[in-house]
Amino acid sequence: MNLIQKKSLKQLLWIGIGAIVMFFAGLTSAYIVRKAEGNWLEFILPDWFLYSTITIISSSVLLIIARFYINKEKPIIQLILTTLLLGVLFSYFQFRGWQELTMQGVFLTGEGSNVAGSFLYVITLAHLVHLLGGLIALVVTLINARGGKYTSNNYLGFELASNYWHFLGLLWVYLFFFLKFF
Amino acid sequence: MSDHHKETFITKYIFSMDHKMIAKQFLITGMLMAVLGMLMSAVFRVQLANPGESSILYSLLPGSWVNEMGALNPDKYLALVTMHGTILVFWVLTAGLSGTFANFLIPLQIGARDMASGFLNMLSYWFFFIATVVLISSIYVQGGPASGGWTIYPPLSALPQAIPGSGTGMTLWLISITLFVVGSLLGGLNYIVTILNLRTKGMSMQRMPLTVWALLVTAILGVLSFPVLLSCGLLLIFDRSFGTSFYLSDIIVGGEMLHNMGGSPVLFEHLFWFLGHPEVYIILLPALGIISEVISVNSRKPIFGYKAMVVSILVIGFLSFIVWGHHMFMTGMNPFLGSVFTFTTLLIAIPSAVKVFNYLATLWRANIRFTPAMLFAIAGVSAFITGGLTGLILGDSALDINVHDTYFVVGHFHIVMGLSAIYGMLAGVYHWFPKMYGRMMNKNLGYIHFWFTFICAYGVFFPMHFLGLAGLPRRYYTNTAFPMFDGLSDINDIITFFALAGAVVQTIFLFNFFYSIFKGTKASQNPWKSNSLEWTTPIERIHGNWPGELPTVHRWAYDYSKPGAEEDYILQTEPLKEGEEEH
Amino acid sequence: MTNILIALVVLLVIVSLVQLTRVSELLGELKNEDVNKVTDNDNKTQGVLFLIIGMGFMGFVIWQMIEWNHLLLPAAASLHGEQIDVLMKFTMTMILVVFFVLTPMLFYFAYKYRGSKNNTAYFLSHNNKLELIWTVIPTIVLTGVIIFGLKTWDETMNVDTSTAKVVEVYSEQFKWTARNSGNDNKLGNSNFKLVTAKNALGVDMQDQNSLDDQLLREVHLVVGKPVLLKFRSRDVIHSAYLPHFRVQMNCVPGLLTQFAFTPTKTTKQMKEEEGEDFEYVLLCNKICGAAHYNMQMSFIVETQEEYDEWISSKETLSEKLLTQKQ
Repeated sequence: MNLIQKKSLKQLLWIGIGAIVMFFAGLTSAYIVRKAEGNWLEFILPDWFLYSTITIISSSVLLIIARFYINKEKPIIQLILTTLLLGVLFSYFQFRGWQELTMQGVFLTGEGSNVAGSFLYVITLAHLVHLLGGLIALVVTLINARGGKYTSNNYLGFELASNYWHFLGLLWVYLFFFLKFF
Repeated sequence: MSDHHKETFITKYIFSMDHKMIAKQFLITGMLMAVLGMLMSAVFRVQLANPGESSILYSLLPGSWVNEMGALNPDKYLALVTMHGTILVFWVLTAGLSGTFANFLIPLQIGARDMASGFLNMLSYWFFFIATVVLISSIYVQGGPASGGWTIYPPLSALPQAIPGSGTGMTLWLISITLFVVGSLLGGLNYIVTILNLRTKGMSMQRMPLTVWALLVTAILGVLSFPVLLSCGLLLIFDRSFGTSFYLSDIIVGGEMLHNMGGSPVLFEHLFWFLGHPEVYIILLPALGIISEVISVNSRKPIFGYKAMVVSILVIGFLSFIVWGHHMFMTGMNPFLGSVFTFTTLLIAIPSAVKVFNYLATLWRANIRFTPAMLFAIAGVSAFITGGLTGLILGDSALDINVHDTYFVVGHFHIVMGLSAIYGMLAGVYHWFPKMYGRMMNKNLGYIHFWFTFICAYGVFFPMHFLGLAGLPRRYYTNTAFPMFDGLSDINDIITFFALAGAVVQTIFLFNFFYSIFKGTKASQNPWKSNSLEWTTPIERIHGNWPGELPTVHRWAYDYSKPGAEEDYILQTEPLKEGEEEH
Repeated sequence: MTNILIALVVLLVIVSLVQLTRVSELLGELKNEDVNKVTDNDNKTQGVLFLIIGMGFMGFVIWQMIEWNHLLLPAAASLHGEQIDVLMKFTMTMILVVFFVLTPMLFYFAYKYRGSKNNTAYFLSHNNKLELIWTVIPTIVLTGVIIFGLKTWDETMNVDTSTAKVVEVYSEQFKWTARNSGNDNKLGNSNFKLVTAKNALGVDMQDQNSLDDQLLREVHLVVGKPVLLKFRSRDVIHSAYLPHFRVQMNCVPGLLTQFAFTPTKTTKQMKEEEGEDFEYVLLCNKICGAAHYNMQMSFIVETQEEYDEWISSKETLSEKLLTQKQ
């Protein structure tokens, strides 16, 4: 695959990421507009979401390290596997967070629910669904890494997967601070 | 060269990754959906002309849509207008227009072998195809298809108790649109990346044909605005199926008091129109791009003001994001907000006017060759003038008070979209048919198709302005409930007559198109003597477009009738002569 | 029946045209001519057609304007409406002028510059001065239109409602109900949770202001006196459209919207001007379900005395809901 083709595939991903950003921009704008109208339940974001934030940041750090390892022709299978597991841990923390929210009386829907809760669930759920795609991409890179596909000259698939993963992390950090402080 | 994979019927015609084949898949699907959408309009126009009566046309509908007397049920009238709008706005004018011409022209006009990712491109068509199947299936469900208007405002679109189509039909609509948007985005990604990265040697951005510029900006608009429709739809899905209250509050419907509290339908409108307005420019810009190309080639003159045309495309693209509120003047918004949107909306008239003047200047002192494509391109400019001007009334908030949601609006948007954009699309089909199929469409049939369409189309939509100024609301099953509209029935009859006649006339085009694919006279290499790169590829069309090396470009696409040249056109691949200056 | 026959005839005509064309194509092939080549004759014909049909289009537009002018809404019957009508006349005149200049120009150019083998087009690719002129002039004109429009909008939306008579207009599938605010000019609070069969608008009878409110099937207004209409909806988005007054406002469930205006002509006056059949009417103007086309309520504009007499016979909510009936 030549340089232009590689560049094109990376750009395809970035523009796709741009589209996903606009999707979340729509959701967060709706949140802002609705909140300004009042009747908005205030609650404390469970700590589980802090744990998941730390988890996903760590997972990105591992992928960055893996990137350097590729250049040095060092094996990256363990790093990718750990990232994948951290991704799964992230998902687990999200579920625990939702669990705690329901114990606090914050629900997605139903008689006792408030739209503030609904927004929180929908936004975090939407992020998790996109993360699922990221997990699949990581599985593919793991398989490819085991097959010895990535060399310091050619690691396009890894790069694409890790760019997407970093995006998911950055997106989550934005959403986390948005939901916590706004 | 690139891969020499073995082609089977499946990889060549079904799951093709060749942009030219994918373009034709979009075209055929778009055309078939256009027939469906037009049939729907024929049916509801018959109801409007002969309210409450039965008609042979209703035999096309599912049986449950008419009552025992054979008359169309009022809620199914609304189902028809909803599906008509959905099909024409999204399936025909977005997928059928962008999907076809972006896919077909971009690699050819910039000198690329194919799109950046043939695989994503193939996916984009198949998402579109499945979306089509889902949408059509929604017609046959028990409550009928979505019936809340193509704009599907909640609570009407959220509550099956409010109208039957808001049950399963609406659920399928939402699934279909989600698939459609994903398909559109996959396509749009490709268009942008291909234009930015895969231009051949010498093809700088300033040498690209206007069609490519228009398609680039269109794709960017799509990437930025379609996802917001998805977020809008997601919240609606939650309200409909999971009992949330994003858009719903204080509702008693069908005798039932709903639990939803705190939601706002106006929030839906903001999110919807944030896509909805750029959407109409996603429809219009490619059509204008095609019109620019067709007018220039057939005038044997450069498009006048190329730079100004590019700038106006960019300005229209940018402004299209800040005018959405003009669809919402009557929602009770803060009057200051209304003022802001009036200001931005009227601003968008400026680059639009600039484009019209440049078209006129292109025609001035031209040597016009009236191919059927040229006829449609000129008519497209006429419709853009007519429809664009009434936009100045609608965009003015104080004036919108009395014409909002009346037939005045219906006339306006049909003339800009149903005439101008469709004419652009038809011009594109007539113009690039030889390149798509290696054969010529019949010229005389094209002439006949054009003139009858032109007459019928203005006959349908111009009178609507008067209906609107008489206070007649849109989406009314019949106009006989209010005595104040009794005098309007003659106008309604005229509109229906032209609508039916116009629909019948399109059969000429359909015949011409399909017949010519198989039996049309074989096309020559460059039948229109056009400068752009697509005409330098072999007539039979091959994978990778050019058999040997990619062409090198030495000049822009508009050297027509350049003084000092032997012929009245110079291909973009032609090197500059001694002492010749590039434009 | 006639429609079907017409359709059949048209279809047959098309089929014959199609067959004729096929024959001509085949003949062309035999003679080695390119039947699809655009000739100078074609250019002449199409150019002339543009001129003729273009003129026909202009004629059609003018015919419509003359023939159907009497069907348009009569002059506005409200204060702000008069301003809107002035703005409309101004803007409409402007766009008609532009339309009647640009469209004939387009069709004329198509005719005049119809091509021929011996002709050459004039290679002029751009003219920056021209671009400047035709950018600046529309900008100036549009600035004027914008300023005029914003002024009218401000006058319409920002009215002094302190002395206005408050009337609620409640929308539902598929009818309108009005609620007069009574002598205190204050509407009692309402909540959809309080809706019952008798208390269809969910008025809170604990609120003192509700006691003198009255439910009405039609709305009477006093000529020359401002009225503030407040809108609610029971189920889906409706829109209150009073075209003669140049009033329109969405009725949104969960939201309160309003529109204030002053009627200037009594119904009697309008009947004299427009005919005995004239009525002011409220229509629904936002798709709301099957009977969207038939949501009507009458509005009557009359003198103060006529109004006083009419309203005096109307039952208050306290009478309707709080008094024990047999």
